Amino acid sequence: MGTLAVPPEVDAVFREFRTCELTTLAKDNTPITWPTVALYQPTKAKFVITTSIGLPQKAYNVRRSPRVAMLYSNPTGSGLAAPPAVLVQGDATCPDEIVTRSDELDALGRLLMVRQPVSAKYSASPLARYLSDWYLMRLLIHVRPRRIRWWPKGDLSGPAAELEVDHVA
Amino acid sequence: MWPELVRRLPRFSSAVLTGLDTRGYPVSVRCHPTPDRQAQVLRVAVPDGLGLAPGPAGLLCHEHDEDLWELDSFLVRGGLERDDHGWVFRPRQLVRGMSPTPVGNLRLMRNGRRTARRYLAVRGLPRPKIPWEHYAQLKEEAGGSPSGPRRP
Repeated sequence: MGTLAVPPEVDAVFREFRTCELTTLAKDNTPITWPTVALYQPTKAKFVITTSIGLPQKAYNVRRSPRVAMLYSNPTGSGLAAPPAVLVQGDATCPDEIVTRSDELDALGRLLMVRQPVSAKYSASPLARYLSDWYLMRLLIHVRPRRIRWWPKGDLSGPAAELEVDHVA
Repeated sequence: MWPELVRRLPRFSSAVLTGLDTRGYPVSVRCHPTPDRQAQVLRVAVPDGLGLAPGPAGLLCHEHDEDLWELDSFLVRGGLERDDHGWVFRPRQLVRGMSPTPVGNLRLMRNGRRTARRYLAVRGLPRPKIPWEHYAQLKEEAGGSPSGPRRP
């Protein structure tokens, strides 16, 4: 397994953006895009995304068709000035295994606790825990990037820089 | 669907258009769709060299605040076409996403619980127990308290 080496400005986007727009393919091949939080794991050359079994459609889509894309185009909350827009295309897997505790889930949880402070209210009382336990029954989606393109300063009118990453798979 | 789409669209400063490239991979780009009210389509400017192909497509509008809250989103399923003036997104179905309203939160909770119950039932699985104490510990490590983490 290789390491994902990208320019510093792209690395910063992967680490600091609060969300990316993840696209999976529906049964009729329509691309379905929703914002999501992604955990960047450059030393494993992959990204980790999770979804609840209460919102399983993206997991079903990935199991049927592994081709996905992740667009980093909304810098709100990242603290980055004029970051590039970054498009990652890759192949995803999603085992049919419900996870309630794992190292990857912990890493994502730590990110969210700092970046989305209000999410703490979902575990703040017995009633909140009863109502929201389904949200923490998670499915893990692993994305192996194949092609990464980025537009400096998010300027789409200019040419994109590109990195083919098949060699790290 | 068209009236709801043109009512919701101005609430967002831009949208994410996604189509497929010739290899069958999704390709997304942020854009500023312009409604063509007569044809009931959205006109979109797409940069050259993306490799987008006419065919199935989607359009996402979403926003969040600096604290990753006030989540607001909707998605439109449709198709991408080319005409003499450029790229056209032809909407087919609007799908509600997150809503920052209490009603939206309640809908999410109700539907999520129901779908999770069905996911488990289909597989004959017991309801997993959530390690709440472990989450409380993570919260503590992240600099939080039971009622919410402190900001860095």
